[in-house]
Amino acid sequence: MSRSLGFGSPRFRRLGFKRLRARGLGLRSGDFASQKAGSRGFALKVLLAVVTGLVGAALLHLIIVLALPDFSERDAYTRVLAEGEIYRFYRLGEKPDRAGLAKDDPFVDAAVCAFDISEGPVRLAAANGGVPFWSLGVYDQSSNEVFSINDRTSSGGVLDVVIASPMQLTALRKALPQAVSQSILVEAREAEGYVVLRSLVPQPSFAGIVSQFLNQATCAPFEWRSRSRF
Amino acid sequence: MRYSAQRARVSPAGPFLRNRINANPLAQLSEGQSKPVFRVPFLIAIALTIAFGGGIWSTLVALDATIGFGAIKLGSWEAFPEAQTAQADPYAKSHRASAGKLIYASAEGLAFIASVDQAGERLTGNCSYRLTGHTPPARFWTLFAAAPGAAPPSAQSDLPTALNSRIVLRNGGSDGGFDIAISATAKPGNWLAVSTPGVFRLTLTLFDTPTAGSSGLIDLTMPRIEKTGCGNV
Repeated sequence: MSRSLGFGSPRFRRLGFKRLRARGLGLRSGDFASQKAGSRGFALKVLLAVVTGLVGAALLHLIIVLALPDFSERDAYTRVLAEGEIYRFYRLGEKPDRAGLAKDDPFVDAAVCAFDISEGPVRLAAANGGVPFWSLGVYDQSSNEVFSINDRTSSGGVLDVVIASPMQLTALRKALPQAVSQSILVEAREAEGYVVLRSLVPQPSFAGIVSQFLNQATCAPFEWRSRSRF
Repeated sequence: MRYSAQRARVSPAGPFLRNRINANPLAQLSEGQSKPVFRVPFLIAIALTIAFGGGIWSTLVALDATIGFGAIKLGSWEAFPEAQTAQADPYAKSHRASAGKLIYASAEGLAFIASVDQAGERLTGNCSYRLTGHTPPARFWTLFAAAPGAAPPSAQSDLPTALNSRIVLRNGGSDGGFDIAISATAKPGNWLAVSTPGVFRLTLTLFDTPTAGSSGLIDLTMPRIEKTGCGNV
């Protein structure tokens, strides 16, 4: 079935080109007829080449779309890494910085921080000095959202989040240190990722307080020694 | 002219053909013309050009044109609440990987973008618009206009190029809605200044909104964008 329908199948070739060619030979009434037959066969081949090209284009389209997230040099995680060292927040300006990141909204101030929890958990903390709104988004290295929180869903409007791998989290819960007893524990399956901390500046008078909130926010590896070694 | 050119092209294969076919020179020539000696590379070139050119071009166009599937459409407004999640479709993932934007997470907010008015015509800086009605429930919202692909306006601008829910004036009635004039020239009441002469897009971002996670999105209403006039009116 498929053999008889395929473009390259012997039957197709027999129907198409061989007959045309044979007719060109058989007529032999002059160069014109044979040329005409030859050009008809050639047109068919060009059509085949175009169809092959279109099928190839569709395949290539799918391959690029599926593979682009793995090879992109412009994705958000690469840009956050390009800001500088990990484990610290970088404020974003109105103009794109050298990493290519900028504020997306005139009223929203943002800071980004890349982290790596393969060695130990990361703690994000910031005291709330009265900002009208803040929100935190945690993403893995493929820019998939892992966790997000805002000031209403946090406890007391204070940013205090610990990002840990499932293994670290189990050990952490076993003997919860006093320092993180009030923290929100977030489980991240990927070791690497980045966080975005945003705060609103609805009026210019809020700029100072928001600036202070973002500048003193920390994104540091959590110094924690588990007592029960296993 | 054409015949002689073809003959010249065929001639390098002449001895090979002569060995195989011992017919008269005329038949040999006509056979040689349809032999795929120099046409095969040409056909392969066509196929490869179409495959690579078409494949790359269509991908660039597709990633530029849309953020992905799964958009919520409310009037002329469009939002992608799942663009940042692991459940996003391959086009959305590819788009965000090449755009490199920091997308709002679900507890943060949701950005709605409008590039057409209520009648379906493109928003341009030559015309004036009215934005009336309510936003879906949210603690805070911001509104600004920017050309497609351009940076958002600065908050320190002298003109009101961006508005938010705290500085916008509400209607005097009981409904608490708003009425914003979007124009290049100054308007009384709420005025959103548009600085681009060409087409622009409106971005309305809702912060801390149940819209981002709720399933009952169909009942939500977004403000209407109506054209009030074009030119110097």
